[in-house]
Parts: sequence; C-alpha cells; structure tokens
Amino acid sequence: MSALTKITTVEARLFFREPTAAIMTFALPIGLLVVFGSIGMGEDAESGGNAISDGFLPVMALSLSAAMLGFSVLPTVLAAYREKGVLRRLSVTPVNPVNVLSAQLLINLAAATIAAIVVLVLAASAYDLGTPGQVAGFVLTFVLMTAAIFAIGLLVAALAPTSRSATSIGMLLFFPSMFFAGVWTPGDLMPEWARPIRDVSPMGAGMEAMQDAWDGAWPGTVNLVALVVVAAIAGLASARLFRWE
Amino acid sequence: MPIIEVANLHKRYGDVVAVDDVSFEVEEGEIFGILGPNGAGKTTTVESIVGMRQPDGGTIRVLGLDPRRDRAELRRRVGVQLQESELPEKITVAEALDLYASFYADPADPRALLDELGIADKADARFDKLSGGQKQRLSIALALVGKPTIAVLDELTTGLDPRARRDTWQLVEDVRARGVTIILVTHFMDEAERLCDRLAVIDSGRVVAVDSPAGLVDRVTDEQRIVFLPSRPIDVGVLADLPDVNDVDRSGQHLVVTGTGNVLHSLVTTLAAQDVIATELRLDRANLEDAFVSLTGKAFDSATTAA
Repeated sequence: MSALTKITTVEARLFFREPTAAIMTFALPIGLLVVFGSIGMGEDAESGGNAISDGFLPVMALSLSAAMLGFSVLPTVLAAYREKGVLRRLSVTPVNPVNVLSAQLLINLAAATIAAIVVLVLAASAYDLGTPGQVAGFVLTFVLMTAAIFAIGLLVAALAPTSRSATSIGMLLFFPSMFFAGVWTPGDLMPEWARPIRDVSPMGAGMEAMQDAWDGAWPGTVNLVALVVVAAIAGLASARLFRWE
Repeated sequence: MPIIEVANLHKRYGDVVAVDDVSFEVEEGEIFGILGPNGAGKTTTVESIVGMRQPDGGTIRVLGLDPRRDRAELRRRVGVQLQESELPEKITVAEALDLYASFYADPADPRALLDELGIADKADARFDKLSGGQKQRLSIALALVGKPTIAVLDELTTGLDPRARRDTWQLVEDVRARGVTIILVTHFMDEAERLCDRLAVIDSGRVVAVDSPAGLVDRVTDEQRIVFLPSRPIDVGVLADLPDVNDVDRSGQHLVVTGTGNVLHSLVTTLAAQDVIATELRLDRANLEDAFVSLTGKAFDSATTAA
C-alpha cells in the first residue's frame, strides 16, 4: 500500500473519531434540510412572490457542509498537527509530510461530497425539491467552490500560529461567508450593496451558480471565474507560506 | 571509521548564534551523548545531523552521506525521536506503529517491537490516554521501526518519573545491544554518566570537551575523599605518611582521608595490619557534575532549573 493510501486510511479513521467534525459536517446540513424542508420553505418560495430557487435549501445545506469542513475542520486539524509536531515527526521519516496534507484534503473532499449526495437525495425524495437541471454545471460549481473554500482553509492553516487561532480565524471567515452567500437573505432579499461581494465570495458565488444550475441554466461566468481565481490564489499562497513546524 | 563526522558546524537564526563551532565524531556501536544546559545548541546540532536544518557553516557526514543532499537515503537509515513531537490524539499505538512501519521497505515487526518495549498491552490505547513513559516508549518504537543503523534520541527522559526514567535507560542499553549506534541528547548528568560511552559537553554553541564520562571527571580532579569511623583510636600521623595520601582530617569521631591513585588500597591494608576496622566507610570522588562545572565555569543547576 502506498504511503498516501495508508495515511489516508488512518486519517479517515481519526476523522470519524472526532465527533464534532462528523456531526457538523453531516448532521448540520441534513438537520437544516429536514427542519426547513418540513415547514415547506423551498416549495413556497416562488409562490410567495420571491424569486428564490427551489434549489436554495439543498444548495445552502451542502454549501454549509463544505464551508464547515474548509473553514473549520481542515485548518484546525492541520494547525494542530503542526503545533503538536506531528508534521515535524513525519519529516524525519522517508515519507514527505505533504502526504498528510493530501490525505486531509481527500478526506474532507470525500466528506463534503457524501454530505452533498445525502442532501440531494433527501431534497428530491423527501421534500420534493427536484434535482439540478444543469447537472454538469452543478457538479463543476460544487467542485470549484469546494476547491476555493479548502484553499482558503489551507491558507488559514498556513498562517495561524496555533490550532486555537486557526479555529478562530476559520469562524471569522465562516460567518461573513454565510451572510454574503445569502443564507439569511436569499436572492433578492440581499441588500444591494452586498450583492457584488456575493457574486465573487467563494460561498456566495458557489451558491448563486449552483442555484442557477438547479434552475437549468449554465452557471454565471463571473461566479465561476471568481471561484477559480480564489482557489488559485489561496492555493498558491498556502503552498508558499505553509510551515511544517 | 567514524559513522558520524561533524566538523566546525555553525548555525545561526537571524542574529542569534545557536551553534557556534561544534566538531565531534561518533564511532559505530557506541552511545554518544550530547550534554549541555538548555540553549547550549544541542537540539540544533542534532537537527543538523538528521538533515532538518541547513548549516550556515561546517560539514556533516552521516554514514558517509550529506544530511541535506542525501536526505532520502538518510531518512531510511536514521531513526529519530524528537523532543516535543506528538501524534494525533486519537490514533492508537498499533495504528501509529503500523503506519510508520509502512514508510520503510523492510520494517521491524510492529508487534514484536511493542512487546520488546513493554507496551504490547497498550496496542489499542489511544495516544492521548498514554502516560508520559508510555508515550516515550512509543516514540522510541517509532524511531526503531525502520531498523535504523543510527538512532537519535533527543531529551528522552524529560518529564518522566524516576522509575520510568530508569526503565527507559535500560531500554536504550537494550537498543544499543542490538548494534544500533545511539546519539543521546540530554541535560541530565546522571543520565549521561549512566548511559554514554563518550560524550560531547556543549556550552554556548561550542564543544567544551569530548571524552568518556570517567575521562571527563579525571580531567577535573583525580582526588578521592574517604570518610570512615575507626573501630579504635589510631595514630593519624601513620596514615598521613602513607603514599598517595594528601591529607588526613577529623570530623567528629570520623576520619577524613583525601588522596589520589591507590589511596583506598593503602589505607585499608594499613588499617588491617593494625587490626583496625573501618566502619561507616564512604568513598567520594568528583562526578560528572563537578566536571561540568569545572569545564564550563557554570553551576549546572542554575543552568537547568529554567527548564
């Protein structure tokens, strides 16, 4: 078994031994969907005169899951590994500690994907919210949004001196992200001044583009380009700045 | 041929000189100690030896390799136990050892290693549930799982209780008995004196002396001090005239004889010839700590209590 496979297997087990991470990732988005789906939020939206996509609720739920992982779980774990010397210890074995980073990215990506699939299946089957109309555009956006958020998470892990500060910085990014993504003010409810930020912030651009795809349209270019740019810049910066000890 | 050669190692962090000028050689199969107070440059020295740091000056050869250029080869043949490096909290002992074993082409059997290190019963325990001594054992196991030629052990017993320290010392001797050359970094005098065949005393980034523990002590003084209670009064003048005796003094009922060389033998045979029995006999000689103080001009306690 290659070192990466082995490390990923072990890290995956450790992921599930950390109950808060597992709960945040799966229980929170599913819980949101169940609560708001049960009161019929998605279905009533359009008839209420508000141009809110049927996809809003599932898109929000799966985006929250990706954001929890990228802004909180990923940077906290990596910063803790550096703080405790886990990465330093690996650096004196024949295996490069980059494998730990890769393993963490793979596991968090897998978790985000599984959470997304559960949400989509529930939305379609239990709450009659339908499925994405433009599947390829939806999947592409999901991948780009996750990449952008995870790249920011890596950057937080690179810059935060301790795991505690990584958690704090992650949370400081998480709440404004939710606001600019329109979690509390979907669609036209968002104030005018905040909309340009929504269009290019990772969660905002991602959710907007996924809702477009849900409604059958190809995602907006501005949204997609913003996601690519954020992923590239944050990814490169974290690669340059990441310290092993 | 030395297995490790360090010549004129120099390393600075910004304006701070961590290692000024360090040179020594380690022979195959020995336990080589690096002894010095905190901040003397011990850890930077070993970090340079295992290729974690790029020296600013000097040369290092380990198994004929350049630790920086031949990092990959070095990693396969040198096992390292690092100070203050932990494992993920929830990883189990067996998982950690299996994981590290998978990094090497021909690893030791993890189960056998756990047995040998006396933590087989902890195989399924999570890292954060282990005691300090158990963590240290696991750490040594991880350093040995690749069947290294050289093991570097940094501040192995810091934070352990006396019992765990003695057990760990035994462990180090067992490892050496398997033919592994060991570099032991320590700021404990008793540890260095008990374990090391030879040691380099480092102070303020420089090597003060390289010798065996006994050799270091002899450099300082070879005077011995014998205290005893004679079974009956005795003529002090006779003792003072013995060869190797420097001085005889009284301390209450006790006699205090100082001297060099075979002073103990001379004293005991003389007493025996006069049918005097020496009771409560105690022999004091300078120890490594005295040698350290004399070599560095520093009290070792004040240098280490900051730890």
